[in-house]
Amino acid sequence: MKILIIEDEKELAFSISEYLKTENYRCEFAFTFAEAFSKITTYEYDCILLDLMLPGGDGLKILHELKQNSRQEGVIIISAKDSLQDKIDGLQIGADDYLPKPFHLSELSARIHSVIRRKQFGNTNKIQVNELQIDLLSKIASIGTVTIPLTKKEFELLLYFIGNKNRVISRSVLAEHLSGDMADMLDNHDFVYAHVKNLKKKLSEGGSEEYIKTVYGLGYRWES
Amino acid sequence: MNKLINKTLFYFISIAILLLVISAPLFYYMMERLYLEDVNESILIRKDEFKLNHLPTLTFNDIANFNRFNRDVQILGDTISPIQDQISLQYFWDKVPNESEPYQVLYTRIYIQNEHYWLMVRMNLVESEDLIKTLTGLYLTILFILLVVLFLIISVVSKKLWSPFYDTLEKIDDFNLEQSLFPQFSKTKTEEFKQLNSGLEKLIKQNLDAYKTQKEFTENASHELQTPLAVFRSKLDVLLQEPGLTENQATIISSLYDACSRLARINKNLLLLSKIENQYFTEKTEVNVVKLLQESIPYFNEQAQAKNLKIVPDIAHSELVILANKGLIEILINNLLLNAIRHNYQNGKVQIEIKLNQLIISNTGSPDPLDLNKLFKRFSKTSENAHSSGLGLAIIYEICEMHGWKVNYQFLDRSHTFSVTF
Repeated sequence: MKILIIEDEKELAFSISEYLKTENYRCEFAFTFAEAFSKITTYEYDCILLDLMLPGGDGLKILHELKQNSRQEGVIIISAKDSLQDKIDGLQIGADDYLPKPFHLSELSARIHSVIRRKQFGNTNKIQVNELQIDLLSKIASIGTVTIPLTKKEFELLLYFIGNKNRVISRSVLAEHLSGDMADMLDNHDFVYAHVKNLKKKLSEGGSEEYIKTVYGLGYRWES
Repeated sequence: MNKLINKTLFYFISIAILLLVISAPLFYYMMERLYLEDVNESILIRKDEFKLNHLPTLTFNDIANFNRFNRDVQILGDTISPIQDQISLQYFWDKVPNESEPYQVLYTRIYIQNEHYWLMVRMNLVESEDLIKTLTGLYLTILFILLVVLFLIISVVSKKLWSPFYDTLEKIDDFNLEQSLFPQFSKTKTEEFKQLNSGLEKLIKQNLDAYKTQKEFTENASHELQTPLAVFRSKLDVLLQEPGLTENQATIISSLYDACSRLARINKNLLLLSKIENQYFTEKTEVNVVKLLQESIPYFNEQAQAKNLKIVPDIAHSELVILANKGLIEILINNLLLNAIRHNYQNGKVQIEIKLNQLIISNTGSPDPLDLNKLFKRFSKTSENAHSSGLGLAIIYEICEMHGWKVNYQFLDRSHTFSVTF
């Protein structure tokens, strides 16, 4: 999988690349508008991470260029601008997702995972993780013919773990992911523990192996 | 009464009355002096005329006749002893009005055929008194009319003169720094008012500039902080993946995570505040508050359960539709609910009510009322909760301010009650 990171803040770009490399993603960088422009016209990628404020130009122009040429890459805008209008603008032009800075890399990884999946599998939208089968459209997880009765939150958690395989995810990050915009105002993350516990229980009852491991003092890791 | 024009008129009237009171007797006295001088002079002239015209030819036999035809010039025998050659005031009995009347009198020694006589020249003062009184009355009337006219002129003229001043005053009164509308002072030709207006214009401009810079600064600063925060957070995410982290290291990373989240939260809220101030959210739609509350409350269930709180929404039968910015009213409601939960104690209660155009959210919590003066100010934390950004209530206040709503806090029945009047 090839990913282009268009981001002028080098340290952030390196972090993203470092985080993603364990998942067999190969990352390339573009630190300026010109670099980005020449890369997208020369190569093809599976996913493009696009910062909007670039030295030398507006990131949205790159998005325009991609869409004009009917390119298939998934585009995730990563921007310090987080007003509703910016989001609407970006998504209308054709971005697949919009992630305001500062974000968690696990969140980014989950979204990249979801974008690539959508591009690759079209409308079928089914993921197979070992014995576990996940239908994204009907939001159902099953093993063989046995459906695992997950709540909405548990299903979201499962997807998040699968988007961040073999990586430690801190409990507060999961809390933020689960309660959206409101999460960063919450001061009690205990509910994450309850949700993860339930998810683990339901998965093992359905006959799955124990993939979710607790990392002491930090959070959880999906090992597979 | 304390208006400038009233003060001017008050001083004017005081001085005018004082002038009238003092000047009337003074005028009377002056007139009297002048008239007396006149009378004395004519007495002297008559005396001289007598001495020149009559005395040389006058004989002893003429005296009776002379006296008979001259009322005020009399030749008297040497039987009296008056003050000689000096005019003095003396009362004589007049037969016609039948009363004694004042006269100025002069006695001088004369000789007729070598006999010693007294010549008496006198002048009645009754007429003069009348004259003086009439004159004084006239003078006072004129002065009075003059003052009344002046009074009217002053009130009209000062109103006209001060009108640019009042205009400026009114505009200053209407000026609101947050609306950033530069007041247009009306043109004036008066040097002082020109100076005043230009001074004010300069002051207001500097204020607006400073205010704008400050607002922009907050927005730019929080914007600029996003990227380093993103780097910081991403490095933590990477660090977390290092194999073989010790427990100690894990704890440190965990604390860093929390600090980073808090930093991001404060920054996000600051940015939101400055965006509200900078009028980013002007679009308004009709919002059903009841529906919004019903949608929001479930999000807080988990938090409420952790503290075993009882949320009592008494809104099912209420109706409240307002014109508001959808995003902001959501933030307002979420912040209010969040506060009610966050500052609650175990097994506490949160009550949500709608009364007419009022949303009331009350919660149990600390036993003491909060300090209303600090409550809605930025970073003036009234609680010890380390997780609060100190901006939640400031945001609520700013959202209400922007929409023209009123937010209020009361400590009622041992519960903290926040109400928003739409």
